[in-house]
Amino acid sequence: MWRYTLRRLAFLPLVLVLVSLITFILLRVLPQQDPAILMAGQNATPEQVAAIHAELGLDKPIATQYFDWMGHVLRGDLGKTYYSKRDILDEVKHRFPASAEIILLSLTLSVVVGVTFGVISATMRNTGIDYGVRLLAVFGQSIPEFFLLVLLILIPSIVWNYAAPVGGYVSPIDDLWRNIRMFAPPSLVLGIGGSAGIMRLQRTTMLEVLRSDYVRTARAKGLASRSVVMTHAFRNTLAPLVTVVGASFTTVFAGSVIAERIMSLNGLGVFFLQSVLQRDFPVVQFLVLYTATVVILANLIVDLSYAFIDPRVKYR
Amino acid sequence: MATGAVTAPVAAAEWEPTLEPRRRLAGWGRVARKNPVGVIAAIIVVAFVTLGAVEVISQSAFGTVVAPENPREIHASVQLQGPSLAHPLGTNQRGNDMLSRIMAGARVSFLIGAMALVIGFLPGALLGVISGYYQRWIDYVIQRGGEAWAAFPVLFLYLAFITALGQGLKTIAIVIVISSLFGGSRVLRATALITKHSDYIEASRSLGASDSWILTRHLIPNVMPIIIVGASSVFAVSVLAESALSFLGLGLEPGTPSWGIDLSEGQSNMRLHPYLVLFPGMAISLVVLGFNLLGDTLRDILDPRLRGSLR
Repeated sequence: MWRYTLRRLAFLPLVLVLVSLITFILLRVLPQQDPAILMAGQNATPEQVAAIHAELGLDKPIATQYFDWMGHVLRGDLGKTYYSKRDILDEVKHRFPASAEIILLSLTLSVVVGVTFGVISATMRNTGIDYGVRLLAVFGQSIPEFFLLVLLILIPSIVWNYAAPVGGYVSPIDDLWRNIRMFAPPSLVLGIGGSAGIMRLQRTTMLEVLRSDYVRTARAKGLASRSVVMTHAFRNTLAPLVTVVGASFTTVFAGSVIAERIMSLNGLGVFFLQSVLQRDFPVVQFLVLYTATVVILANLIVDLSYAFIDPRVKYR
Repeated sequence: MATGAVTAPVAAAEWEPTLEPRRRLAGWGRVARKNPVGVIAAIIVVAFVTLGAVEVISQSAFGTVVAPENPREIHASVQLQGPSLAHPLGTNQRGNDMLSRIMAGARVSFLIGAMALVIGFLPGALLGVISGYYQRWIDYVIQRGGEAWAAFPVLFLYLAFITALGQGLKTIAIVIVISSLFGGSRVLRATALITKHSDYIEASRSLGASDSWILTRHLIPNVMPIIIVGASSVFAVSVLAESALSFLGLGLEPGTPSWGIDLSEGQSNMRLHPYLVLFPGMAISLVVLGFNLLGDTLRDILDPRLRGSLR
C-alpha cells in the first residue's frame, strides 16, 4: 500500500513537467495569440511589440523561458501578472478561500443529497417517490447550472425584492450570516446539479446489490430491513460511489468558475478566466499546474480509498 | 472473410423481410405507448435537429437566417419590449427579435453537437471497438490519452486551448470533438472487451470467420445500442458545453445568435425583463432534456436484458 502510494506520488512530478511543458509550448507557438500585441494594441509598431517582449522575457528561446519560469516556481516565486504587475502568489492566496468554500460546500452537498436520494429511490423502487427522484435527477442533469443560478438570483429579487450579497469575499469567521447568504446560492446550485449523477449511479448500484444473494440471505435470516440496507447493501455500493465522487470533483471545479463569475466572487476560477482572456501567461501556466496537482492527488485518494472500502482490493 | 461469408448472413437475411411494414409499425406504436416520455423527447430532438440543420444550411449556403427577422439587425425603436404579437418572445437591448435570435441560435448548438458526433464520437466509438478487439498499441495510446484528457476539468481544457488558439467556433469544436472522441472510444472499448469473449463470437471464430467479418457482422451490430445511446448523450453534453462557454464570453463573438450569449446578455436587464434570460435558458434546458430523456428511453428499449419484454 505504502509502496504503491509512493510510486504513484513519484509519477506526479513527471506528469506535472509534461503538463507544464505542453501548456508552455501551446501558449507560445501561435503568433496571433501574442500577449504583446494585446497589450500594445493592433496598431503597434514592431519596435513597441519587441520592447514588450523584452520586458516580459518573451524574446528568449522557449527552452530558456521554461527553465527560468520553472526555476522560479520551484523556489516559490510565481512571478507577477502581466497587467497589474501584482505578485501572483499573493493573488492566489487572496483568492483561494472563495473557491475552496464553493468547491467544498457543493461537493459535500452533492454527495449527501445524491447518496440519500439514490438509496431512497432504490429501496422504494417503482413508487411515486422513486419516479419523482429520477425525474428530478434527469432535470438536474439537463438544466445548465448557470441558468439555475441566474434563476436562483432572479426569482427572490422579483418576488421578495431580495438581493444576495455579491462580490468580494467575507470569511465565515468575520461575518457568518453574510458568508452564508453569499455562498448558499452557488453551492446549492452546483451541489444539487452534481448530485443528479451521483443519485442515478447510487440507485443503479444499490438495485443491483439488493438483488444479490447475500442480501437475500440477510433478509432470510430475519434481519431488519434497515440493517440489511445500511450494513449489507450500502457498504457494497461504496466503490463505484467513490469513483463518481472523484469525477464530480473535477466537474465542481469547473462549475466554480461559472458560479464565481455570476456571483462576482474573487476566486481562482475568475482569475483563470480573466488571465485567459488577457493572455496572462504566467498566471495561466501556474493555474494549469495547480489544477493538475489537485486533480491528480484527488484521483490518487480515490484509488487508495478502494483498499479501505473493499478488503479484496490490494495495492502492491 | 471468404470462409465466414458462407456461414453467417443467412440468419440476417431471413429475419429482415419477415417483419412486414405493418407489423413493424404496430411494434413501434406499442413501444411509443409504453414510453410517452420518450415520444415527447423524440419530438423535441427531431424539432431541434430539423431547425438546426435548416439554419446551418440556409446560413452557410444562402447567408440568410430562417426566422421572422434578422437576429442581428439593431432596432433602436423597439428595445427591451416584452412579449407581444409582433415579437412573441420580446426584444433585447438592441431591439433584436428574441424569437428570431433563438431560432438562429439553434445553428451553433446543432453544429457543435453534430461535429462532436460525426467527427468525434463515431470515429472514437469505432476506434474503441477496434482497440478493445485487438488490444495492441492502439489500445494503449487510446487508454492513456483518454485518461490524461479526462483528468482535467473540461472547462480548464477549454481555457487552455482558448489561450493558445484564440476564441471562436473552431476552438470550441476542437475541444468538444477531442472530448467526444476519447469519451466514445473509452466506453466502446470496455464493451468490446466484454463482448469479444461471448460465446457467439467464439463460435463464429471457430467456424473460421475472419477478424473483419467478426467486427462488422457481430461485434459492431451488438454494441450498436451503446453507440446510439452514447450519441444522444454526446449531443446533450455538447449543447451544454457550448452554451456554458458562450455564457462565459469564451465562445463566439458577442452579438452572434447563440443561446448562451443571449442568456448572458440578458442578465444585465433581467430584473425588469426576466424573459430575456428565461427563453434562452429554457431553449437550452429543453433541448438537453430532450436528448437525455431520449437516451434513457433508448437505453431501456435497446438493453438486451429488457428486449424480450417488448416483443
